[in-house]
Amino acid sequence: MNATVASEYSSEIHSVPIEHRFNPYSDNGGTVLGIAGEDFAVLAGDTRQVEGYSIQSRYQPKVFNVGDDIVMTANGFAADGAALIDRFKNQLQWYKFDHGGKKLNIKSAARYIQHLLYGKRFFPYYVSTLIAGLDEEGKGAVYSYDPVGSYEREQCRAGGAAASLIMPFLDNQVNFKNQYEPGSDGKKKRELRYLTLDEVLELVRDAFSSATERHIQVGDGLEILIVTKEGVRTEYFDLKRD
Amino acid sequence: MFLTRSEYDRGVSTFSPEGRLFQVEYSLEAIKLGSTAIGISTSEGVILGVEKRVSSSLLEHTSIEKIVEIDKHIGCAMSGLTADARSMIDHARVSSLTHNLYYDEDIQVESLTQSVCDLALRFGEGAGGEKRLMSRPFGVALLIAGIDKDKGPQLYHAEPSGTFYRYEAKAIGSGSEGAQSELQNEYHKSMTLKEAELLALKTLKQVMEEKLDCKNAQLASVTAEGGFQIYSDEKTDEIIKALIESQVDEDPALSGN
Amino acid sequence: MNHDPFQWGRPSNETYGAYNHHIANASVRETDHQSLDNFPKMNTQQPIITGTSVISVKFKDGVILAADNLGSYGSLLRFNNIERLIKVGQETVVGISGDISDLQQIERILDELETTEEVYDSDGGHNLRAPHVHEYLSRVLYNRRSKMNPLWNAIIVGGFNDDRTPFLKYIDLLGVTYGASTLATGFGSHLAVPLLRQLIPNDVDYVNVSEEQARKVVEDCMRVLFYRDARASDKFSLVTIKRSAEEPDTSYTFNFEKELKVENQSWRFAKDIRGYGSQQQ
Repeated sequence: MNATVASEYSSEIHSVPIEHRFNPYSDNGGTVLGIAGEDFAVLAGDTRQVEGYSIQSRYQPKVFNVGDDIVMTANGFAADGAALIDRFKNQLQWYKFDHGGKKLNIKSAARYIQHLLYGKRFFPYYVSTLIAGLDEEGKGAVYSYDPVGSYEREQCRAGGAAASLIMPFLDNQVNFKNQYEPGSDGKKKRELRYLTLDEVLELVRDAFSSATERHIQVGDGLEILIVTKEGVRTEYFDLKRD
Repeated sequence: MFLTRSEYDRGVSTFSPEGRLFQVEYSLEAIKLGSTAIGISTSEGVILGVEKRVSSSLLEHTSIEKIVEIDKHIGCAMSGLTADARSMIDHARVSSLTHNLYYDEDIQVESLTQSVCDLALRFGEGAGGEKRLMSRPFGVALLIAGIDKDKGPQLYHAEPSGTFYRYEAKAIGSGSEGAQSELQNEYHKSMTLKEAELLALKTLKQVMEEKLDCKNAQLASVTAEGGFQIYSDEKTDEIIKALIESQVDEDPALSGN
Repeated sequence: MNHDPFQWGRPSNETYGAYNHHIANASVRETDHQSLDNFPKMNTQQPIITGTSVISVKFKDGVILAADNLGSYGSLLRFNNIERLIKVGQETVVGISGDISDLQQIERILDELETTEEVYDSDGGHNLRAPHVHEYLSRVLYNRRSKMNPLWNAIIVGGFNDDRTPFLKYIDLLGVTYGASTLATGFGSHLAVPLLRQLIPNDVDYVNVSEEQARKVVEDCMRVLFYRDARASDKFSLVTIKRSAEEPDTSYTFNFEKELKVENQSWRFAKDIRGYGSQQQ
C-alpha cells in the first residue's frame, strides 16, 4: 500500500547544492621582512603586486612610514593591508588629539594594532602585519602579528609569500640558530651579538634576491625603510623582473 | 534676585539672556557646602588631604570615603555631593583601564581628567546624538592627583561645569577660601613631599572646627615609587604629631593647644 | 497523477513518493508571490551585462585610455553602444569594465561627487583631480566588498597629480588598488599589458614616450583584443588628456574620441589557428 515505485533516479546521489558566492579575498603576493638591531630597525618589502599569474604592478610600495618613527606593513590581501594601515594612521592622529600631541610608543602602537585586527576577528584582515621602530630605551624593535591580532616582539620576522623561504635563513643568520663554535664539536653554541646596520642590509638584500629566484610572486624592486634615532630613511634596490 | 532668575532656572541647558547657565552655577555652590579637600603638587609627588565630618560619635569614621583610587598611578579627593562622584570615579576607572588595554601604558593624568570632564556635561544631549545621561549637573568637584612619565606629578581640579585646570596647590569645599589663601602664602616650588604633608594638615587644621586627628582627616599621596597610597591612621597621627610639635617650636603660645 | 490544481500533472505522491527537487536543480519550492517575498535579500553574485577590457598608458605629457562600446549578455552581443569612459571634473577620466548596471551606479556616484565638489569649492581653488577620484572610488568599492555586496567592476582612473605629473591607477571589486605606467583590466591585462610594457619597460620610462607612440600602441592593443577576446568589439572610444606645451602648469586638453574603428584588420591568420574548435589538425 505504501510502497513507492522506484524511479529511474533512485540511484541518484543526493548532494547539497554547491555554495557559489562572492569571495571577498584575493592574494596579492609579495613578501616582507623586519629586523631589529641594537639602535636601529629595518622593515623591507618587495614592490611587486600580483593577482594570479599576472604582475599588476612592478612598483607598488607596501611598507610605510606611519609617523612617530614607526614603520608598518601589512602583506597579503592588498586591499585589507591598505585599509589597516589607513586605519592605524588615522588612529595615530586621534591619539595625538586626545593626549596633547604625545608621541606614540612602539609598544603602544603594537597593542593598538592588536585591537584593530581582533576587531575584525570574524571577517579578518587577510594580512601578515609587521611594525618596526625604536623602543623607549632606543633599542630596535620589531612586532609581528597573525591575521587576527596575536602578536609578539621579536628580533626578526619574515612575512608574506616567501616567509617560509626567508625565515629559516634569518633564524640562522640573525639568531645564529644551529651555529656552533668551531672546534667545539657541536657542544658550544655561537654567542649571540647585535648585527650592525650594514650587516643587516646585506642580509636583507640576500634574502630578497634569493626569494626572487625561488618564488614567482617576489621580485621587481626592494624597498627598505630604516629607523634610527635620526628618523626614517628609505633605500631602494632593483630585483630581477622575471 | 530670585524672581528674575527663575525663568531660566528650569531648563538645565537653557542660557539666560546674560549668557549664564544657572543650574551649572548652582552646582558650583553645592561644592562650597562640602567638606574641605586639599591637593598639593611637588616635584616628589602629590599630596591629597581631606576633612571628614564625623557627625556622630557612633559613626564609623572609616566608612567616610573621600579619597579614592582611580588607578595605581592616579587618585582623587572629592568635595560636595559625594554620591555623585561614584559615576565619575567609575567612568575614570573604566577610562584608565581601557587606555591600558588598548595602549599597554598608563593613561596620562591630563587625559584621564579630560575624560572625567567629558562626562560632566551629559545632563544635556550631545551634538553627536549622545543620549542625555543625567537630570542635572554633578554636585561634586574633584581634585585629581597623579603621576605620569611625560609630565611628572600633577594635580587637576575638575568642576561640574566640565572645565578643569592644573594647580600647584588647590583647596575646594566649605573652607576653600581660607585654605586657598593659606596655600598661596605657604606654597613654594621646591617643597618636599614631607613639607607638603605638613602643609596640607596645617591648612586643614586652620579651617576645621574640630580638633585634628586621624578620624576627621585623611591623607593620600601619589609618588613615582609608591603610586597612589592612602595613609594609615597611624601614619596620619604621626604627621599630626609632627605638625603640632613644629608649631610649638614656632610659637610657644600654641603649646597648650 | 496529482490532481491538486497547483500540482497538476505531477506524479502523485502516494504512488511515487515526494518529488525530488534536487533533480536537474529544480526549484526547491513552488514560486508564487508569497515565496518571492520570503526569499532572502540577495547581493550581486555574478555580473549580468558586461563590458570587457579597459586599457591605458601614460606618456610624456598625459594619459590615454581606451575601451570598446560592447555590452555582452554572456556570449550574446546585447548592446553595441555602451560608453565605458566617463569624464569626471575637468581633467580626469574613469574607464570601467565589468557589470554595466554597476557601471551606471558608479556613473551616478561620480556625478554626485562632481556636483558636491563644485558646490563646496566654488572658489575654484581646489580642483577635483584624478588622485581624489581614485581614492574615493577605492573606498566605495572596498566598503561594498566588505558588506559582501560588491560593485562588480574593474576601474582605471587617469588624469594628473596635483604636481601636474600624469596619474594612472586601478581599482577592482575587492578594493585592491595599484598604479603603473601601463594598466589594463580583464583580458587586457593578459593581451595588452605585454604590448604596452614593450613601449614602457620601466614605470619611470613614460617620460620618454610621445603621444603618437603611445596612441599607436593603444590602437594595436585594441586590434589584438578584438582578434582574440570574443567579448570585444571593433568599435571603441579613446580619451587623451594632455598638458599643453605652452602652459604645462595650468592648461590641458581633454580629447574624447567616440565611435573609432579598429583599423588595418587582417584575418588571414585565423585559418592557421589549430586546437580550439572542432577542427583538429
